[in-house]
Amino acid sequence: MDLALTEDQAMLKRTVADFMKREAPPTNITGWLQGGVGYVPELFQTAADLGWLGMLVPEAYGGAGLGLSDCAVIFEELGRGPLPGPYFSSGVLGAAVIAEGGSDEQKQRWLPAICQGEEIATLAINDRGYSWGPGSVEMTATDRPEGLTLNGTKMFVHDAAAATVLICAVRHGDGISLALVDMNQPGVSVTPYKGLASPSLGEVRLDEVHVPRSAILGEPGQGWAALERALIQAIPILCAYQVGGCQEVLDFTVEYTRSRVVFGQPIGRFQRVQDHVVDLVNHLDSARWITNETIWKLDTGNEAISSVHEAKAVASDGYYHACNYAHMVFAGPGTDYSHPLVAHMIQSRSLYQYLGNPLYHKRMMMDYLFPRALRS
Amino acid sequence: MDFAMQPDSEEMQVFRREAQEWFAEAMKDGAHLKFSANWSTRENEEEYEFRRNLARKVGAKGWMFPVYPREYGGGGLTVEHQMVLENEIGKYGLTLEHIFYTLARLAVPCIFTWGTEEQKQAFLPPLMTGEVGCWQLLTEPQGGSDVANAQTTAIKDGDVYVVNGQKTMVGSIHYPDFFWTLVNTNPQGARHENLSWIYIPGDLPGISRSPLNLLMGRKNTVFFDNVRVPEFYLVGGENNGWKVGNTHLELEHSGGGSLGEDGLVKHLIQYCEETESNGAPLLEDPDVRDLLADVLIGSHISALWGRRNWWHRYAHRPHGYGGTQARYYSRMRRLVVAERLQQILGYHTLIPNFDVPEAIDFEHAARQGPGTLHGGGTLDTDRLIMGRRMGLGRPTAEQAPITTPGSSEA
Repeated sequence: MDLALTEDQAMLKRTVADFMKREAPPTNITGWLQGGVGYVPELFQTAADLGWLGMLVPEAYGGAGLGLSDCAVIFEELGRGPLPGPYFSSGVLGAAVIAEGGSDEQKQRWLPAICQGEEIATLAINDRGYSWGPGSVEMTATDRPEGLTLNGTKMFVHDAAAATVLICAVRHGDGISLALVDMNQPGVSVTPYKGLASPSLGEVRLDEVHVPRSAILGEPGQGWAALERALIQAIPILCAYQVGGCQEVLDFTVEYTRSRVVFGQPIGRFQRVQDHVVDLVNHLDSARWITNETIWKLDTGNEAISSVHEAKAVASDGYYHACNYAHMVFAGPGTDYSHPLVAHMIQSRSLYQYLGNPLYHKRMMMDYLFPRALRS
Repeated sequence: MDFAMQPDSEEMQVFRREAQEWFAEAMKDGAHLKFSANWSTRENEEEYEFRRNLARKVGAKGWMFPVYPREYGGGGLTVEHQMVLENEIGKYGLTLEHIFYTLARLAVPCIFTWGTEEQKQAFLPPLMTGEVGCWQLLTEPQGGSDVANAQTTAIKDGDVYVVNGQKTMVGSIHYPDFFWTLVNTNPQGARHENLSWIYIPGDLPGISRSPLNLLMGRKNTVFFDNVRVPEFYLVGGENNGWKVGNTHLELEHSGGGSLGEDGLVKHLIQYCEETESNGAPLLEDPDVRDLLADVLIGSHISALWGRRNWWHRYAHRPHGYGGTQARYYSRMRRLVVAERLQQILGYHTLIPNFDVPEAIDFEHAARQGPGTLHGGGTLDTDRLIMGRRMGLGRPTAEQAPITTPGSSEA
């Protein structure tokens, strides 16, 4: 047993932390949020140059071929921002789906470009966002000799505006196919959302969009299985990002309990205030340790599928509530769009839904641990 | 990171086989026993005798305190050996620290850290080898969570301390050989600077006890009436008790961690698989599954934090709020589990099942929810300590003391 980072990982953590301090301090993060900026191309390119986008991609396809635990170190630090952009959606998840589902030719075509930040691949799975799982894929592909024609709308696509290619799940024959849609082709339009949604979320509308047969990832109709394999690898990295968010929220909240003085003493001396921070840190550590253990299981080849679902449930729930408890401590100032807590709160709400909400993942965890004889 | 709890070097594989064979032999005569929980009234004489003897056998091997030096009754072994032993005894529903009801797990680290060489040689071997049992005496009727307010006095008279006062909510059914006791050695002294720890032989004249009938079983009030304790038994120096207590309380507040499994949850899942309601196993019921998911996740978080704390303790890693955090969380969770049990099993939760070990019985868990919210300090004390350890409203965070021999390899 050794629950510490390796020396190399500790060094990597410092490198990423320095990058964040230099390139994405809280004032930048809140500025981007207020400007509706979901993606800063120059930073994304820097991260690509540093090798942070292809950590899990095999070396043969231009990646680093490293384990999840190294990758998680990076994403935890990015989550402290929270740094917006397709770092996870393309560099981890998009790459994983292509690695799991694509032919060798497709992998050669896409993976090195994703690792280098030249292509940005994001996923569009469920059409309307009410549920997750294969049943949520409603868009039906029209099969033509030369390929597929797609019509419809995919709501709540993460990093939609940044993407150069959409990995679009569609009903196709008896199964689900993953179609690679060039985002620059006619008929594709992206509308960002307003309100509490993360600025990187957008609605993608496809209007008579043609996809050549060569752009169907792997075997037609077999997309969901590839997607599931990719999700198992990718979700823990998203959890690490959420853990980073919780840690940052804790750190600036603890600092506030020291510096903010009312009734003649720092507010951290008030036990009511301490209670909020206790609840906050309990959410952080729930998310952190389940995520860490899940990553260790995956990296060591232990059975991990139920743990991945559990981690997503706990990390999403943890980030959501960590922000709530911080709001209790910060009160009014914590609701100002120029305050980093608002950026975290907004991010936590969208990540709560991303790739399935806690209730969905808890049920998946149970179904995996205790398969039901009668599925209703 | 490496979460593996089974060290797999060749040496450890050999040791594990040795431990497995040894426990199989030692546990043979107790195979029919359904062990009772700590300080339960369910424990009968046969069980007590078995566990008492088992402790002596395990202790003679040095396995009750594996990483402590052999000269004091420990095993002189590594943290990896300790992991193996905890795993192996865990299979029988026991822990190294609670083979029978004794709080040597708290007294030993304190005496080891704070005692003189003579005291260590005199007190530790019997405690570590399971020859003697020990209760901790902290709580007083007026004190509760305010431990520093101890009013049981120990006043120097020549070469003895004369102890007067009472301690409550302590012990179990079986009277111990020693009391590990916080006393006030300077009633006029400043708070936190007037306390000492004293190791009191149970057979001295002037000690009596009266039983308390509690939700979780049997505790006692212990009375000291002019009990004359030789000065040799005062550990850690006169009026230095608050510092000694730091070691004690860190371990009492779950800072020691654990590697144990949650037998109750396993039992619950098994019960839900085997029990039908409305024509299908409970485990098929979607509502039950949702309830169980929360129980499983809570149990998992508790186990992971226990493992983290265990590693911090034995690998001597910086450790702050983790102990109290684990304790606070597990207590709150037990309340949740008690409610979930009733939601799933209904009235059956309220009836004890004597055919299973008490620690995994649902009725025990239902009592345990409200019944163990307080031991060693209330939930509010837990949060208070966490606040200090995180440095809320203070310039720095407090660190936990090192409590246990170990190494940076775990």
